[in-house]
Amino acid sequence: MTSNSLPITALKSSVKSPAENRLPGDLAMWFFILAELTVFALFFIAFAVSEQQNLVMFSQGKHQLHQTSGLINTIALITSSLFVALALNVMQLGKSRQAALLLLIAKLVACIYIVVKISEYLLLFEQGIDIETNTFFTLYFLITAFHLMHVLLGMVILAYINHNARKGNYTANNLSGFESGASYWHMVDLLWIILFPLIYVI
Amino acid sequence: MNDKKQSLSKLMLPSLLSWLLLIALTFASVYMTYLIDSRPLFISGALVIVFFKGQQIIDIFMELKHAPKRWRLLLLSYVILMPLIIAIIYIF
Repeated sequence: MTSNSLPITALKSSVKSPAENRLPGDLAMWFFILAELTVFALFFIAFAVSEQQNLVMFSQGKHQLHQTSGLINTIALITSSLFVALALNVMQLGKSRQAALLLLIAKLVACIYIVVKISEYLLLFEQGIDIETNTFFTLYFLITAFHLMHVLLGMVILAYINHNARKGNYTANNLSGFESGASYWHMVDLLWIILFPLIYVI
Repeated sequence: MNDKKQSLSKLMLPSLLSWLLLIALTFASVYMTYLIDSRPLFISGALVIVFFKGQQIIDIFMELKHAPKRWRLLLLSYVILMPLIIAIIYIF
């Protein structure tokens, strides 16, 4: 090893890039994500098992849902996730202002999800359908409302990292908080990817 | 300046391509409802799409493609096992 090879190695290791073999964000956030995925896994299994035991009820229930709303919400969450991923990309180059703008767009797109979901609930309430109507709607409201709560929490986290980005608290080499928030948001998207076909399509 | 722009577009390209694929797969899963009559085949198709969408989110959006293997596999196992369990419940 030459005398000047150490500083070059140290410099290289301080620059973070997606190509590195490291876990993005904070380890604690990943354990939290795993815990959330586990809870939803139980909900998904409960829904599938209940459907097998009440095929007619679940088929009728699914027909009363608005598949288009589910489709719009899927597109909204995927697009919102895209903007969060892009925000992280620009942040990796140290462009905190652009990152903050992209995060704002991500939150606005996520608002579409919230508006559509609430209007979907209101339409069902108008038809006299609520959480006590039958097993299908009990599970429908429980699972989707629980997911909605995660979307709302995700938006709070996005607002927090947006605030920090605007204040210039993140640098290209100090992105752990940003990555943790982004990963949580992608988890919300990941859950919907399973929830949508399970409740609306299959 | 140009180098920065080039590296930015290089960084953004996977996310944009992934988003396009996710949107296409979403529409595919909805239109499968009208195209496939066989319920087991339809369920299998929809759940295979879930896996591919999940893989895109985990590898590209969550940037786990280059993360330590165990973490990547742990997350990927979720989008393999969940559709598999659901398929077993529905089909068998």
